[in-house]
Amino acid sequence: MAITWRAVAVTALGVVVVLVLPVPIVVVGWAVLVVALVALDVALAASPRRVEITRSVPVSVRLTEASRSTLLLTNRSGRRLRALVRDAWQPSAGATGNRHRVDLPDGESRRVVTALLPTRRGDRLADKVTIRSVGPLGLAARQVSLEVPGRLRVLPEFASRRHLPSRLARLRELDGRTAVQVRGAGTEFDSLREYVIGDDVRSIDWRATARRSEVVVRTWRPERDRRVMIVLDTSRTSAARIGDLPRIDASMEAALLLSALAARAGDRVDLLAYDRRVRAQVAGTGGPRLLPALADALAPVDPALVEADWPSAVAAVQQRLSQRALVVLLTSLEPAAVETGLLPSIAPLAKDHTVVVASVADPEVAQLRSARGTTAEVFDAAAAERTELERAAVTIRLRQRGVEVVDALPDDLAPRLADTYLALKAAGRL
Amino acid sequence: MTAPPAPSPLRPSAPTRSTVSATSTVMGDGTTASSRARRRWRRAVVPLVVVALLALAALLAAVLRPATSGTPLAPDNPEPNGGRALAQVLERQGVTVEHVRTSAEVARAAEPGTTLLVTSTFFLLPDQVDVLADTGADLVLAEPDWTALDSLTDGALDTGWADSTSTTVLAPECADPDARAAEGIDSDGSGLTSYGDATMCFPHPEADTFGERQYAYAVWDDDARRITAIDDATLLTNARLADEGHAALALRALGRNDHLVWYVPAFEDTGVEGGGVQPTGSLLPSWAGPVGAQLVVVVLVLAVWRGRRLGPVVTEPLPVTVRAAEATVGRGRLYRRSRSRGHAAAALRAGTARRAAARLGLPRSAGAPEVLEALARATGRDTAQVADLLYGPPPTDDAGLVDLTRRLDELESEVHRT
Repeated sequence: MAITWRAVAVTALGVVVVLVLPVPIVVVGWAVLVVALVALDVALAASPRRVEITRSVPVSVRLTEASRSTLLLTNRSGRRLRALVRDAWQPSAGATGNRHRVDLPDGESRRVVTALLPTRRGDRLADKVTIRSVGPLGLAARQVSLEVPGRLRVLPEFASRRHLPSRLARLRELDGRTAVQVRGAGTEFDSLREYVIGDDVRSIDWRATARRSEVVVRTWRPERDRRVMIVLDTSRTSAARIGDLPRIDASMEAALLLSALAARAGDRVDLLAYDRRVRAQVAGTGGPRLLPALADALAPVDPALVEADWPSAVAAVQQRLSQRALVVLLTSLEPAAVETGLLPSIAPLAKDHTVVVASVADPEVAQLRSARGTTAEVFDAAAAERTELERAAVTIRLRQRGVEVVDALPDDLAPRLADTYLALKAAGRL
Repeated sequence: MTAPPAPSPLRPSAPTRSTVSATSTVMGDGTTASSRARRRWRRAVVPLVVVALLALAALLAAVLRPATSGTPLAPDNPEPNGGRALAQVLERQGVTVEHVRTSAEVARAAEPGTTLLVTSTFFLLPDQVDVLADTGADLVLAEPDWTALDSLTDGALDTGWADSTSTTVLAPECADPDARAAEGIDSDGSGLTSYGDATMCFPHPEADTFGERQYAYAVWDDDARRITAIDDATLLTNARLADEGHAALALRALGRNDHLVWYVPAFEDTGVEGGGVQPTGSLLPSWAGPVGAQLVVVVLVLAVWRGRRLGPVVTEPLPVTVRAAEATVGRGRLYRRSRSRGHAAAALRAGTARRAAARLGLPRSAGAPEVLEALARATGRDTAQVADLLYGPPPTDDAGLVDLTRRLDELESEVHRT
């Protein structure tokens, strides 16, 4: 039950009546009159429990893209429904203008649309639908809040896709390149072509030259059908906020760009989100279905406030890989966490596979390091300097174990990781 | 094997977006009017019981008012500034103690042959003082002020200006049996002086500026009654009653008659029957009450209107997102609080050395002498100077640390230029 401003106005009208007849009984009498009118109005209002509500909402939408939630209201109350309908969503679903006035004769239907503009990745859930059905006098209303399930999956934004064309161009340059630049154990023979000035004479195929009238060289191309295993660390260190987003979001951007690139390069991409157990995984999906599958798997992943269990993560990775592969660990170079967890368990992995550790650096630490204003800021700068020294030390220790380290700011991590992948591919280290 | 990579139909820009809609239909929440009423009752019963218990407790507290008060010198006040000890001892000795607060009650209770204790004359108006005089009862005045004392004793007694901070025990030095029985009191009062034939006891050690002796206790016998004045009311309090001879003096002065009227003047009493201040309501027009009540009703209805939400508040399940730099900032505060200038300087020096060495292309394994040598060559400085900057003693104060930081920045910028 709820009352409207008219009920307040009618009560306020009582002041005039009391001024004319200033006796206490008039106050009581007027209150009883207002209560009676309100009760009558409530009794005559259409029942909000006899309104059929059908919600339709898109299954998924990419972050920063607009979407809409539609409610189809059908009045089955046998009375005319004058109501205020609120379609409540989580605040981060960005449901603006979610209050709708409807005036529905009996048996008719109406569609109300609430615009959604999600501000966070993950599953955004609809809350209750509230119907406030006002009576014919407009004094009071019957109100009910109903659970009408609705879920909008908000996929990662994949803002780093703008870096993809340039990296694909670089990938094409690797293709069909002569052995001059790319001579490695892992490079594959691609085709024969005519010699042009500048080619390495060592790559001339003499047997083919002998069969033809011109000099022919062998060309090489990067290996195909290699495996790329992306391990996304979802433990406590990934919950830390860098800029406006948690570290895990920057890691996801990097994972998506690398997957898109590797898929185009003909490699097989698997993904594992892990802290103490598997949070999400994508395996055996290729071609056009890969990126949607990745985005869908990553969308609901949130950081868990637990310490990562690296030995079991490494075991899970090794169990899924039979051949040599590129293993990308998207984690953070938190000195304490790396010392105790990652360092001891990474050695066996680095022996069997090419391992890249990618970490999101914090621009705020760099800012702190260069601040010189007050004595307090100098102390902060010293602390930031110490943090960077420790990160550098951890980086060196990882490199000593044969691990590639990419440490970049949130916006740079995805392109830097893609570049590292291309460099490894060009060097035939995949 | 030699085929070029097949062009993928995938638009590489984004995960493709699903346009399939999920639908769900709901009507009502499966409740009936009676089930809702039952649920509401179940939800309301505990708060209702709590409110009822609170109301009962308030009622009991109002009915069973404690028999004590906090009024200074009141016979029902057990605090250090109260007079319950004195009143109880008197009652045990067979004296009936009647506690009154207004001069009307005084006029009714006090009569010749009773004792009237006035704990303070400060709030009394001249009319009320006259009421005291008219009772004909024996008066005991605790710390009277000048006007009341003057009018009650026809100018025979007056208040003095004794040094109230003295802590010496005063001897009676008079013939009054009550005072002699008390043997000694420790009065902090301002003293009493006599201009008539009053018996003055317990002289203060020093005379006032006019050479008059100051006394702590005075007895003035009118033909009809006896007026006793004590210059320090705190002698009668629970806290000080047991000190020196205070108890003897007070019990003898107040226990002279079988009936004692204990008058603690109330601030709001003006001596006029029916209270002094007129109720404010009587000044307002007659319609003010009902209109005020109606306005209260309007405000209540307004509150109900604005207070009803359109559905529950929706909460956001937020992930725990701590700023990543938080740990670094915390360490900076630790340095600051413990004034670890040595640690701070070491970190700054190591950072500068690492970056400069990297810029000069030195291997990470390079030792201190090589780094110093290379830096000196790059900046054109003296090796000893660079060594002092990078490996010198830690700064001893904050200014030293700031200065060191500035010089390190200078060194680094010179390396940068090279």
